[in-house]
Amino acid sequence: MSPDIIIDWLQAVLRWGAPLILVSIGEVYSERTGIIDVGIEGIMLVGALVGVIISFFTGSVLLSSIVSIIIGALLGLIVAFLTVSRKTNQVVTGLMLNLAFLGLTNIVFSFFSETRSVRVNRFPVLFPESLKSIPILGPIFFSQPISTWIALILPFLAAWVLYHTSWGLNIRAVGDNPQAAATAGLPVIGLKYQAVILSGIFAAFGGCVLTLGEVGYFASGGMTAGRGFVVLAAVVVGGWDPVRTALACLLFGATDAAQLRLQTSGSTVPYQFLQMLPYIITIVALSGLVNKSKAPKTWGQPYNPKDI
Amino acid sequence: MNKTDKFSNKVEISFLEDFGTAIIRPLLGIFLGLLSGGILIAASGVNPFTAYAAMARGAFSTPQSFANVLVRASPLLLGGAGVAIGIKAGVWNIGMEGYMYMGAIGAGIVGILPLHIPSFLHIILCLIAGIITAGIWGSIPGYLRAYHGVNEVTVTIMMNYIAQFFCSWMVHEPQFMAEPGSFFPMSLSMVETAKLPILMRGTSLHPGFIIGIVLCIILFLIIRLTAFGFQIRMLGTNPEAARYAGVNTKKQILTVFIIGAILGGLAGAIEILGLKYRVYMDFVAGVGNESVAVALLASGNPIGVIATALFLSALKVGGATMSISTGVGGPATTIIIALCVIFVIAMGQGEPKQLRLDKEEKKDVEVNQHVS
Repeated sequence: MSPDIIIDWLQAVLRWGAPLILVSIGEVYSERTGIIDVGIEGIMLVGALVGVIISFFTGSVLLSSIVSIIIGALLGLIVAFLTVSRKTNQVVTGLMLNLAFLGLTNIVFSFFSETRSVRVNRFPVLFPESLKSIPILGPIFFSQPISTWIALILPFLAAWVLYHTSWGLNIRAVGDNPQAAATAGLPVIGLKYQAVILSGIFAAFGGCVLTLGEVGYFASGGMTAGRGFVVLAAVVVGGWDPVRTALACLLFGATDAAQLRLQTSGSTVPYQFLQMLPYIITIVALSGLVNKSKAPKTWGQPYNPKDI
Repeated sequence: MNKTDKFSNKVEISFLEDFGTAIIRPLLGIFLGLLSGGILIAASGVNPFTAYAAMARGAFSTPQSFANVLVRASPLLLGGAGVAIGIKAGVWNIGMEGYMYMGAIGAGIVGILPLHIPSFLHIILCLIAGIITAGIWGSIPGYLRAYHGVNEVTVTIMMNYIAQFFCSWMVHEPQFMAEPGSFFPMSLSMVETAKLPILMRGTSLHPGFIIGIVLCIILFLIIRLTAFGFQIRMLGTNPEAARYAGVNTKKQILTVFIIGAILGGLAGAIEILGLKYRVYMDFVAGVGNESVAVALLASGNPIGVIATALFLSALKVGGATMSISTGVGGPATTIIIALCVIFVIAMGQGEPKQLRLDKEEKKDVEVNQHVS
């Protein structure tokens, strides 16, 4: 393998890993409060479409991000209402919302099919040509759009908030022992809502980065292609820690980029096994076969204030 | 109140109470789903009544279109029943899509062999092969859930993807199943003796829906009338009581998973032998999720599954006609299905248990009052 292929591959890892990392940040918070938000796949899709439409009409990537974040928050609110207040099964709710959002984006996109004809404004690359021409580092890091850099920095900030602020402590307490948290006077329901809405925000922004980070157009029929589920897998493998989850996202992004290259190069190596890898690793991690993973104690369970 | 009394009190499952919520809630959910679907259709500039009329026409106007509804219902009946028995036992076995792929692979491997045996025998062999592969696949999440307490919803979803990629690998070229030199990766065609008979000339109506309906009824009878079924219901309503009553809950959960997987595997196998005649990636894309919808709309009741599976497949078939005559179609159908389910689960997931608990608390209070 020539170094060019490896550099190209690493560049793709970061480019495709960035949306995954962004989505995973919100999901870590949500799952830390015990709520598995499976709707992120669909919310990503909505964010991806909204990003392209706003960028098409206004040309402003900033506005795209803001609008997709607002819509993501609203969709997160729906997820929170169903899973927290109505105590529906979290995964089934997510699956059905994904179905609904998939249909919705297809319908909305059919009204805006003119966006197909052009590549809309995308996230800019901030670095000057001189940095880009540095060998190896230049193409891998400095030709990346700003969104990739945001995705690389945010997990550290998210970890700091989770472990070093009182709000982060509350979030963790709610997921591990909601009864104790309630006894201590924490608004358990409110905190769960906040975390789930956060997962909606990051999912929509991640979707926006998916389209505006690189490709610049939307494709109907589920262009997120199961990435939301890869994120769910990464959160488990990353042990519900923002930084380690981001690393898992990059790892999964790397296998994805590698399998795409195998597929297009016509190699006989079965790329399908690379595609399976994230899911197999997740099941192994969940089974505690490698190490006991530290799932939030009420992971996936509904919270009823009346239970003591 | 001593412990035994309390448990016997809980184990008693009142059918009448469940019956009311089991019928009214789904109907209301479906109504609300269709209503909001109508609003959506109106918002996209089409008269919703025209659209729904087109939909009904598309599903029921001719024998051919209704045959189409039955064909589409076949995997939903079996998949829905598989999810439903899980719901009854209190586990979310939502890996139907994975079981369908594995069942199709198993049946497909036997189905492409030129065995020169009577068609009847060949089909049976194919179905058995599909049942075995899917059953093994289903025993993995079942074992993890039953003996290691691993969250089954996450595992089954992940396994759906693994099965899908495995299926894609099986039909790619160096593998023995693959059709050599085909542009789109797919398996060899099933041999004539492995194909299910066509019941109606000019349609693709195969006996899959009959198998589905019969199995739904059998499953209903098993759940209602047998000791095994009683244990399943007990497991779903009160696992603690089940354990207390001496049920081997772990084995029971594993069995429920394998039954669900077998039903899913049959769905995939029948789809291959009766309709598609080839295995290829994504041949049941989305049907797994729709099976979950079917089972939820039926509140986990296998008889209800018959009704909801037909309803959903009528929506799908009618949606295609609606799309041709009004321009809103496929995506709108997906949204309507999803909304129906969301309304149903939002109306009362976990509520019956809560009701029961409240009642018991009240009873406890009354008892205490009598004592004092």
